[in-house]
Amino acid sequence: MSLLLGSMRHHIPGYKELTSKKAILEVNAGPQVFIPMFASHSTQFEILVQEGDHVKVGTKIAVCKDRMEIPIYSSVSGTVKGVQKIMHMSLKPLDHVVIENDGKMERELPFQPLDYQTATREELIAFMKEAGIIGQGGAGFPTYVKYQSAKDIKKLIIDAAECEPYITADHIAMENHLDEILVGILAMRKMAQAEEAVIAIKKTHTEMIKKVEAAVANINGVRVLAVPDVYPIGWERALVRYVMKKDYQKLPSEAGAIVNNVSTAYAFANALLHGEPIITALMTVSGNAVKEPVNVHCPVGVPASELIEACGGYTCEDVKLIAAGAMMGKTIVNDKFVAERQMNAITVLATESYDSVACMRCGQCCDVCPVGLQPVRIVQSAKAKNQAMMEKLHAMDCIECGLCAYICPSRLDVTENVRKAKRQLAMAKK
Amino acid sequence: MKFTFSVSPNLRQKQSTKRMMLELTIALLIVYAFSLFYYFKEFGSEYAIQALLMMATALGVTFVTEIAWALFKKENMKKYLASSFGWITAIILVLMCPVDTQLYALGMATFFAIFVGRILFGGFGQNIFNPAAVGFAIIFASFAGSKVADVATGATPISTMATGYNWLTLNDTMISTLLDKFDGLWNLFLGWYPGGLGETSTLLLLVLGAILAIRKVIDWRVPLIYLGSIFVLSSALALFSGMSNWLWYPIFHVCTGGVAFGAVFMLSDPVTSPATKQGKCVFALGAGIITVLIRVLANAPEGCMYSILIMNMLTPAIDQAFSGKQRALIKKSWISLSVLSLLGLGSMYLANMAITPAEPKKPEKPKTEMIAMGDDYVNSLSAKLDGSVKNADGSTTYQITAEGFAAKEGPNMPDYGHPFEPNQFEITIAADNKTIVSVNVTAMNDTEYFGDKILNAKYLDQFKGKDISTLNEVEKNDVVSGATFSVKSSMRALLEVKKALGY
Repeated sequence: MSLLLGSMRHHIPGYKELTSKKAILEVNAGPQVFIPMFASHSTQFEILVQEGDHVKVGTKIAVCKDRMEIPIYSSVSGTVKGVQKIMHMSLKPLDHVVIENDGKMERELPFQPLDYQTATREELIAFMKEAGIIGQGGAGFPTYVKYQSAKDIKKLIIDAAECEPYITADHIAMENHLDEILVGILAMRKMAQAEEAVIAIKKTHTEMIKKVEAAVANINGVRVLAVPDVYPIGWERALVRYVMKKDYQKLPSEAGAIVNNVSTAYAFANALLHGEPIITALMTVSGNAVKEPVNVHCPVGVPASELIEACGGYTCEDVKLIAAGAMMGKTIVNDKFVAERQMNAITVLATESYDSVACMRCGQCCDVCPVGLQPVRIVQSAKAKNQAMMEKLHAMDCIECGLCAYICPSRLDVTENVRKAKRQLAMAKK
Repeated sequence: MKFTFSVSPNLRQKQSTKRMMLELTIALLIVYAFSLFYYFKEFGSEYAIQALLMMATALGVTFVTEIAWALFKKENMKKYLASSFGWITAIILVLMCPVDTQLYALGMATFFAIFVGRILFGGFGQNIFNPAAVGFAIIFASFAGSKVADVATGATPISTMATGYNWLTLNDTMISTLLDKFDGLWNLFLGWYPGGLGETSTLLLLVLGAILAIRKVIDWRVPLIYLGSIFVLSSALALFSGMSNWLWYPIFHVCTGGVAFGAVFMLSDPVTSPATKQGKCVFALGAGIITVLIRVLANAPEGCMYSILIMNMLTPAIDQAFSGKQRALIKKSWISLSVLSLLGLGSMYLANMAITPAEPKKPEKPKTEMIAMGDDYVNSLSAKLDGSVKNADGSTTYQITAEGFAAKEGPNMPDYGHPFEPNQFEITIAADNKTIVSVNVTAMNDTEYFGDKILNAKYLDQFKGKDISTLNEVEKNDVVSGATFSVKSSMRALLEVKKALGY
C-alpha cells in the first residue's frame, strides 16, 4: 500500500473454472470460411488469389506490405469465392476473403520447418516474418519486429498471466502443448539473445506453476515467475515493471526486456516444428450466456455463430457478444464475425443494464489506472473541451484496459468517455 | 436473438455509489443513536426528544426542498430522491449541531445546505463546498443567538478551552480543573460530554472510520493525515511553549471540537476533495494545519468546519497542481507535503510567541472605599444624642438616633412597608474620651438586605480601638457593598458623638 499512489491494478474475479478443466473442443470449418484482411497497423492487403482459384490449407492468399510485412494463409482447402466486407472483431467492417470449404483439408507447406538450434538469429527472424507470426495476446502486432531491433535484451518475458476474466486459452495451451511452447520460448530467447526467459504465471494458478516448473527444471535460463492475480498484470508495461523493476519510455527493450504471449510462442513453435502458419485459433468461448463454455480449436475464418452453436448456443435472448475478453473486447451486434488469428476468446454475457448515478469524484478510477492517469479529470476536461488540460493529463496514454469503468461505483462508462477525449485530441491534431 | 451493443468493459465491480451511501448513512445513524442515548441518560427524555425533533426538522426540510425541486424540474421523483443523497447532508448537519440549537435555525440551515450548497451547484457530485459545512456556517454566522440558553449543556470542552483558556495554559491546576470538568481525557475520548450531537465520541468515530475505510467507502489517508497533523502540530505547540506534561494537549485537540467527526464524515467526502491520493494527502494536511491555526490564533472553536470549507475551496487548485501521470508526480507530492509540514511547524512556533498562556486569576482584593467624615451626604443627615450612660469601667455609652436612607428618602420612596424611621446606634467610648470601644446598631430601619449589612461585625469592628478625635474617614468594605446610605447613617452617628465630645 502506498501513501501517494493507489493500487494501480485490481483483482477481478476470473471465472476461469468454467473452462480451465475441460478438454479442447475441435470445431471444423463450415461450408465457407471468411479470412479477415487485418493487421494491427493496416488493412492494406495485396490479395494473391482470385475468385475461382483453388487453395489448400497453408496457401498464401494475401500479404500486407504496408510498413510491416504480414502474410496471410488459407485455413481450409477449397475455392476462393471472392472478397466480402464483414464486421471484424476490431469493430470495423473489413475485407474478408471468402473460401468455399471442400471439406478435404488438403495441406501444403508454405515453408519448411526449421531447427531453431542450428538456425542463426537472422534466419529465425526471417522465418518468423514469413510465417506471419503475430502477437496472440489480442493485439496482433507482428512479432518479428520486436526481435529485429532487439539489443541488450536481458530477459524474454513470456506472458502466461492471462489476466482477462473468463479466458483460459493460454492456460489450456500450456496444459496440452507445453513441450511445443518450450521450443517456441527457446527459439525466441535465442532471437532476443536474452540471458533468461521468464514465464509469468498468476500466483493463484499453483498447479500450472508446478507443472511448468517441472518442465523447465532441466533447462538453463528458463524459469517460472509467479505474478499477482490482478488486472492488468499481463499488460506489457505492468509485466516489465514487475519483472525488471524498471519503467521505459517507448519500448520494453529500453528496460532490457521483450514481452511475448505464451500462445505466440506456441504459434511460433507450430511454424518451426510443423511448417504451419497461424491458420487455426485456440480460443475460449465462455461467459454467463453460453450454454457450454469451453475452449475451442478451429480454423481461422469460422464465423462466431458456428462456434457458439458448437458450444450449445446462447442461454438467453438478449446477450452481449464480445469478440475477446469481457474487459477489453468489443461487443459486436451480430454473430457473423469470424475467428481471427490473434483472437483468444469470445465472451457471451447476458445483457444487464447498470443503474448509473452522477460521478462523485471518488477518484477510484485514478487509484486503479495502471498508467497512473486521472480518468475522472480527463473526462471532465473532455466535457469542457479543454484540450490543453487533456494533454496535460496524458489522455493519449490511456490503454483502454477498462479498469476505470469496471471500478466506477457510479457505474459510468469512464473508459468510453476517456476514448472520447482521445478522439477529441486526435481530431484536433489532424 | 438480440445482440446488445455496449462499450467495453462489460464487467462492473460489486460496490456501487448507492451502497457506499447506504453504508455511510448507517454509520451516521450509529453515531446519532449514541448521541440520543447520551442525552437521554444524562439529561432526560426532554433532551432526547429535542434531538429527535432536530433530526425530523432537517430531514423534513431536505425532502420538501428536493421534492419541490424535482417537481419544478419535472424529474422522475423516485429516481431523483434516491440518487440525490440529500439525507446524508441533513444527518451530518444535525450531528454537527449542539442539542440546544433552535429548530427554526436548523431548518433554515438545512434549506441553505440543500438548496444553495447542493442543488444550485448542479446536484450530487457537483458541489464545491461540503454542503453540511455550508449549512453549519450559516447557523454560526446568522443565527448566533439561535441557541436556547441551556446551562446544562452549554459548556463544551472546546468552548471552555476557547473562552476560558486562550487555547494554552501551562498551569497544572488549571489543566486539571479543565480536564476534571469533563471527567478526564479518557472521558473526552469516549465522548460522554455535551457538544455537537455526533461530534463527541472520538472512539466511536474512529472505529466507524476504520470500518468505512476497510469497506472502501472512505479513503483512510484523509482522516489519518488530518487527525495526525492536528496531533503533531498541537504537540509541537505544547513543546514550544515549554509545557512539561504535554501529552494531554494534543489528545485534547484531537478529541474535541468535532475533528474526528469532520475527518471521518466531512473531509473524506469525495465530491469536495481532490481526485487523486496525492491531492487528498495535501488536502488533509492543509486542513489539519488550518484547523489548529484557527483554534489557537483566532481563538475560535469552529476550526474544523472552517478548515473544511477553506480546503474545499482549494480543491480545484490542488487538482490542478497534480495534473499528469501520478507516478511522475510523486516527487512533487513529497515536496509539497514537506513544505506544508514545515510551514505548519513554523506557524506553531510563531503562534507560540503570539499566544499568552492563560494564568490562574489572582484572588481579587476585596473592594474597599473610603468615605470621608466630611461627606456632603453624611452632613446632610440629621442626628441627635438621645442620652449617655457612664459604665463601671469608666467608659461612656452614647445612644444616638441618626437619619438613614429610609428616614431621609422616605417620602420619595414607593410603598416601603414600614414607617420611614431613622436608625439608632450605641457607641461606647473609653475613659480617655478618645478610644472607641464599640459601635452597635440598636435599630436598623433601612432597606432590608441592604441597609442591614452594616450589622456585620466585619464592618463594625473596624472602629474598635480607633481614636474618635482623629476619625476622619470610614472604610466601606466589601461586606457593606450596596449599603452606602446606611454606612453614612452610622458615620453621622459617630459624628454626633465626636461633636458631643467637643472634637
